[in-house]
Amino acid sequence: MTTAETPRQIAWKRRRDGLARSWQGFAGQKPALIGLILLGATVVLALLLPLISDESGLDVTKATGGPLRPPSADYWLGTDNYGRSVLLMTMWGSRISLLVGFSAALLSVVIGTLIGITAAHFGGWVSATLLRFTDFFLVLPSLILAIALSAVLPKGVGTIILAIGLTAWPSTARLVRAQTLTIESRPYIERAHALGGGHLHVIGKHVLPGVMPLVLANTTLVVGNAVIADATLSFLGVGDPNSVTWGLVLENALNNGAISAGAWWNVLPPGIAIVLVVLMFTLVGRGLETVFNPRLKK
Amino acid sequence: MTALLQLKDLNVSYATGGTDVHAVRGVDLTLDPGGTLGIAGESGSGKSTVAMSVLRLLPRAATVSGEILLDGQDVTAMKWGRLRAVRWAEASIVFQGAMHALNPVRRVGEQIAEPIRLHPSDGRILTEAGVKARVADLLTQVDLPPSRAGAYPHELSGGQKQRVMIAMALACSPRLIIADEPTTALDVIVQAQVLDLLSRLVAEQKIGLIMISHDLSVLAATCERIAVMYDGEIVEQRPSAELMASPEHEHSRALAAAFPTVGDPVSRFAPATSNPLPPEPADRAPAGEPLLAAENLRVSFRDRTGKRIHAVAGVDLTVARDEIVALVGQSGSGKTTLARTLLGLQKPDSGVVRYDGKPVPARGAGLKAYRRQVQLVLQDPTSALNPVHTVYEAVAEGPRIHGLADERAVVTRALEAAELRPAEKFLDRLPHQLSGGQRQRVVIAGALALEPSMLVADEPVASLDASVRGEILALLLRLRRSLGLAALVITHDLGLAWNIADRVAVMYRGELVETGTVEQVLLDPQHEYTKSLLAALPGGTYRDDVKST
Repeated sequence: MTTAETPRQIAWKRRRDGLARSWQGFAGQKPALIGLILLGATVVLALLLPLISDESGLDVTKATGGPLRPPSADYWLGTDNYGRSVLLMTMWGSRISLLVGFSAALLSVVIGTLIGITAAHFGGWVSATLLRFTDFFLVLPSLILAIALSAVLPKGVGTIILAIGLTAWPSTARLVRAQTLTIESRPYIERAHALGGGHLHVIGKHVLPGVMPLVLANTTLVVGNAVIADATLSFLGVGDPNSVTWGLVLENALNNGAISAGAWWNVLPPGIAIVLVVLMFTLVGRGLETVFNPRLKK
Repeated sequence: MTALLQLKDLNVSYATGGTDVHAVRGVDLTLDPGGTLGIAGESGSGKSTVAMSVLRLLPRAATVSGEILLDGQDVTAMKWGRLRAVRWAEASIVFQGAMHALNPVRRVGEQIAEPIRLHPSDGRILTEAGVKARVADLLTQVDLPPSRAGAYPHELSGGQKQRVMIAMALACSPRLIIADEPTTALDVIVQAQVLDLLSRLVAEQKIGLIMISHDLSVLAATCERIAVMYDGEIVEQRPSAELMASPEHEHSRALAAAFPTVGDPVSRFAPATSNPLPPEPADRAPAGEPLLAAENLRVSFRDRTGKRIHAVAGVDLTVARDEIVALVGQSGSGKTTLARTLLGLQKPDSGVVRYDGKPVPARGAGLKAYRRQVQLVLQDPTSALNPVHTVYEAVAEGPRIHGLADERAVVTRALEAAELRPAEKFLDRLPHQLSGGQRQRVVIAGALALEPSMLVADEPVASLDASVRGEILALLLRLRRSLGLAALVITHDLGLAWNIADRVAVMYRGELVETGTVEQVLLDPQHEYTKSLLAALPGGTYRDDVKST
């Protein structure tokens, strides 16, 4: 097999070179780099939480502080009406928010890519059907659909992921379809057909590698949206009441009189956390877009 | 008498990245009032840069040194206001690619009127009626009915658009017109009309003309003198007839040889190449059983209004083993549709394609097997290769689809057959690291990797430089002679057919109007259309040459 390996090595070397080039293009953009570093730090922090903090502090019955205490040396961001540390809740909230964000984005991007490529590649009535289907989801108010879905399905993180994933894909599908159409109009697709390549060959060898960079950049933007959607759903009370999320912290603050009591430390930390995480994803996503979409380059 | 245009030691360099690229180096040119000068050269030789520098239309990254004297005034030293007055009023440009140089959302009359409004002659502003009259006058000069002023660019044919471009250039009665590849995208017949028109207008109105082209015969047909550029320098500058008859510099010779004169026995089966061709095998059998045959093939499309367009209207065509057939016709004649149908990429409305006597299956394993036998070579090798696939992957694509064993050996053999030697050197290159000719060889190697018995080549050299053209044609001829590989070459270029083909089929409006051996069809054409194609050749045919000298 020594002869067959050399071309594979060539291909891998080329891929490594390509990655290195993309990384250089990405690292050259300061905002994107800062976003990536902060995002990495957030993810690491969320993963290490069980080791560096005490989960029991989230339990209402074991709360040690007085209700609605302003920030102090013991509780840096104050306490909520049950006497729990807001800092602790905000940090733990990142776990669910990121999990939901990543999973829902992955789900929606997979659906969107599949439908987008299928619609563009096969054309004709397949395309017409899929596109009308996409349009239907596009015009449907996604928040209401998500609320309806999570009301019907059993409450839990999985339901939230499903609800967001199933409503967020149409824009990805449109994007992927447009990109697929441009790639399929290139003569090298005709050459692949003339060489005897079937649908799987054309899609797998030419179309998918061609749309992947755009899809990747789009994914990071979708994650930000999914984080917001997750917070919205939790805030509206359709999420899982047992897991701490940023939306839930905000809902508590509203329902338990923290806002009317002027306890701003109950509202601002989770709100700012949402803004920051979405901002990081947006920075990274825009950076990737600039690297992969040559038209955005100067 | 001062010269109309004088370039003295012109140097232009572009700052790209860290290094300066010298596009033009020490060019001296002189054009007298009413004179005509052709600038020939390949892409990248700097000919367009010279033309654009005359009106200071170069991008900011360009540094110009030397003198550009237009009517004795140095363009490089002009103030902005003076330069603005000079542009179009004294010198104007016919840009290349009339398809894209016109604004698609404005009527052509408005576009012709634009320079008239911007540059009122003698300082007085024309009335609206005056502008209209002038536009009508200009359209008449370029042989278009004045009523066409209300048309949008997409309603005009390529030749008509080019006429509009010429009318625009004439709008302010300039003393110099620079025509940058004015006929490159046009068909032979339309090209002849446009060249005629340009020559006539220039002669009537005593306008100086600088024409840029890669085709020496086009320049020779219109210009008194020709300057050949190579790598930013002028390597030869002489009167046209003299240069065409005995080009001195090797590059001029290459340019002249690249476009052979139809009928010239020297260039028959002898495309311009640096490697000698193998001799014709002595035992070459006369064309036997047809390998690929189209029988009464019909293909039609619906246009936007739902009207049927018959792209291919009842074509019978055969290609035998060990034979190169040239399919000749102008754009829109249906030749590409015919090729796509032969390859099974387009379904015919009626009629059959037979391969080796059996009808070609429309789908499934049968079609896949057929595609191993008949391979496609596309017009533009740059877009025919996936830009992120290496040469190895591009060539291995076919063998992988068909599950051929020992892929690496197959790929190496195919690259060697396409004369990319040593093959190892090219395996890990990406398309953008190759020259245009090398890319086309990779496309051909990708086809050869499947060991087909026939190639269908759609304008295989139309987007290549003159010097590469001969090499690729020689490759096709060599493959025929050494492997017996049959080919159907689609082209609008009769010289190509004369260079390598055994038989010619002339296609006109979806039908084959004339088929026969190259000598029969090109030297003794029967059909009116074939005659007009031959008459439109800017270099004329060989016998015409003899008469005129």
